[in-house]
Amino acid sequence: MSVDTADNSTVRADGQHNSLLVAQLREQFGGQLLHEQGTLTGMPVLWVSRGALVDVLTTLRQLPEHPFEMLFDLSAIDERLRSRRHGLPESDFTVFYQLLSVSGNRDILLKVALSERDLSLPTVTPVYRNANWYEREVWDMYGVRFEGHPNLSRILMPPTWNGHPLRKDHHARATEVDPYEMTVESQEREQEAMQFQPEDWGMQRQSESTEFMFLNLGPNHPSAHGAFRIVLQLDGEEIIDCVPDIGYHHRGAEKMAERQSWHSFIPYTDRIDYVGGVMNNLPYVMAVEKLAGIEVTARIQTVRVMMSELFRITSHLLFLGTYLQDLGAMSPVFYTFTDRQKGYEVIEAITGFRMHPAWFRIGGLMQDLPKGWDKLVQGFVDWMPARLNEYEKVMMENSMVRDRTRHIAAFDTANALDWGVTGPNLRATGCDFDLRKQRPYSGYENFDFEVPLGSNGDAFDRGQLRIEEMRQSVKILQQCVNNMPEGDYKADHPLTTPPPRERMLEHIETLITHFLQVSWGPVLPANESLQMVEATKGINSYYLTSDGSTMSYRTRIRTPSFPHLQQIPDLMRGGFVPDLIAHLGSLDFVMADVDR
Amino acid sequence: MTYTLTRVEDALAAENERYPLEKRERVDDPMQQQVHRSVFTGKLDEVLNSTVNWGRKHSLWPYNFGLSCCYVEMTTAFTAPHDVARFGAEVIRASPRQADFMVIAGTCFVKMAPVIQQLYDQMLEPKWVISMGSCANSGGMYDIYSVVQGVDKFLPVDVYVPGCPPRPEAFLQGLQLLQDSIQEERRPLSWVVGDQGVYRAEMPSQREKHRDRRIQVTELRTPDSI
Repeated sequence: MSVDTADNSTVRADGQHNSLLVAQLREQFGGQLLHEQGTLTGMPVLWVSRGALVDVLTTLRQLPEHPFEMLFDLSAIDERLRSRRHGLPESDFTVFYQLLSVSGNRDILLKVALSERDLSLPTVTPVYRNANWYEREVWDMYGVRFEGHPNLSRILMPPTWNGHPLRKDHHARATEVDPYEMTVESQEREQEAMQFQPEDWGMQRQSESTEFMFLNLGPNHPSAHGAFRIVLQLDGEEIIDCVPDIGYHHRGAEKMAERQSWHSFIPYTDRIDYVGGVMNNLPYVMAVEKLAGIEVTARIQTVRVMMSELFRITSHLLFLGTYLQDLGAMSPVFYTFTDRQKGYEVIEAITGFRMHPAWFRIGGLMQDLPKGWDKLVQGFVDWMPARLNEYEKVMMENSMVRDRTRHIAAFDTANALDWGVTGPNLRATGCDFDLRKQRPYSGYENFDFEVPLGSNGDAFDRGQLRIEEMRQSVKILQQCVNNMPEGDYKADHPLTTPPPRERMLEHIETLITHFLQVSWGPVLPANESLQMVEATKGINSYYLTSDGSTMSYRTRIRTPSFPHLQQIPDLMRGGFVPDLIAHLGSLDFVMADVDR
Repeated sequence: MTYTLTRVEDALAAENERYPLEKRERVDDPMQQQVHRSVFTGKLDEVLNSTVNWGRKHSLWPYNFGLSCCYVEMTTAFTAPHDVARFGAEVIRASPRQADFMVIAGTCFVKMAPVIQQLYDQMLEPKWVISMGSCANSGGMYDIYSVVQGVDKFLPVDVYVPGCPPRPEAFLQGLQLLQDSIQEERRPLSWVVGDQGVYRAEMPSQREKHRDRRIQVTELRTPDSI
């Protein structure tokens, strides 16, 4: 085992905790741990041999103290064109497994090197159930086979697709190939390929007593919240089993990151969780700032928190309106959208845009707060509490809402961690895990707020909890208005993008530097970094790999809604169709946050 | 006025034909043709057409169809602050068979395109399509392997609404433009009366119409104050 000592390696092992863990693994697995990589991810990064992978994961999952309960993320990276690898093990394709221990509040990242000629790995679904979809995604995007996987089929791309898009030799742009063309014949072929075959999923068409009905819900259905499809196996109205089908909203954001400059990718992050606005910018710019070594001012941090919390409120309002509409209530959406409009008036006055402001910058903000911002935010802060009380009274105390949602699609903390559920849906089970408290970022440690918890983990708690979360966000907004620090809206650092204009106007050298940084974009040092945030729907993280160029080598976007949808069949077996609709409403997902 | 003519029989699927299926040709006002044939059916026909069109344009039932971000802004237009009922388009239908127009609100994905075509085929005539947002108009910022570069690669589009996403007000303007163009349309009044074709008026480009006014703007408000 070798320890990476490259110039840019900054092993930021969080105290003894991590080094003890690594020492323990080293003792147990010896030569199977090939390498410990120094990165800026803030967690141990271990390369393990293919043969030992399942054993290492099993050990980590079953640690007597602070086990890694959750497979947080699983994806891969095509290393074939990466030039700065600093003594990393030989690899054409690297598959990585990121584990999270909620009880120990720590993470670990395992990597497995694969050769181009032998792209296969044992499945880890027996250890972590939620590896299922992630492994399908890696197969779809990279063509890595997982031996023993229950149904290794494409998940994001259509079944008729050729090639694996995230491979470096796959085209990125649609305009690099022939224009899209639909013919009567191709239409028939695609429709045929979309037909659901129960046998593919190990389903019976009939039981001894009854013939099952297969109901296709989506990809366009009013309660499916976007392009989401789920096929139900029904006995009467009872759901025997169901198969979610995603990928109808795959915009290739991760591939896009590989051909945008670090700066020009920011607008794409807005559109990941498209109701989360600048909240999406936050993990990305913070991960980039880690690579660049930028420290931002207290004012930047506070403004970022304020705007993110504003978007948390507008997102939760959208949730509340649609959740109740799915339950059959027509009017809530009219009320909550009125509030959203009030929120957007503030957001628009500050950022100049409604849904996708792309307002955060590497090392700062697009501009300073405009004059009079505080009155606007105060107006919104004063408006909301009465409305929230009304919602609680009129909607959540409504007996029909309660009957439709209490004890519906309920799950406990263990089940949630098993499936990778995070955010409000996890906290509804009573698990106190909010990154703003557990791992404060961007100055959240300076705010006084509570983390609301549920107890039953049912559809009702998930709704109720979000109303309480909005109250807490309003409380944070008030503190921002009261205590906004003075300071610059751009960090004083050469990689801050775009650089301050005053610095450009000194002499020809500064002008050239400015020109390069704006046109080509900043060059970030080769390294890897990762930032998680508590986004509107759960934990959202960006795992960036820089190869020392103006563009990202690999951007992995871990979104919370992807595992939330994967969990659905486990909860819905034995439920009724209206329960499924209530559950879909209570999950709070948007498809861009699933398919990226 | 010049018209675009789409004949009913041209919209039928033939073996391996490319979408959009319908063929369009530019023709003169059908009224003119009637006059040249010295058959004057003018006034009654005109009154009937404009009455029917008036009814159609003020009772447009949208199909509840959303793809991505734009759909949120479209929904915003449907709710209280913007109130689409002012334009007679608040009766949102969950089934394509009951809807009059479809708004392609969001990105048109390669995996979704066959579904969109299927849903469009299920809508009954008369039907219209609004393409909402940059993605639906042209692919927008998503020039990427999984995105069709504009829904008009396979669907006939009546109105394009620019923006990423367009504001709810922009959607409402798009709806009004659709209404204007419906007012000018000529459709058969029955299966036995007149020409069995759909004449769509070529409406003026909004960009050209407003260019003069727009380039006169010289002072933009500073973003430093609200």
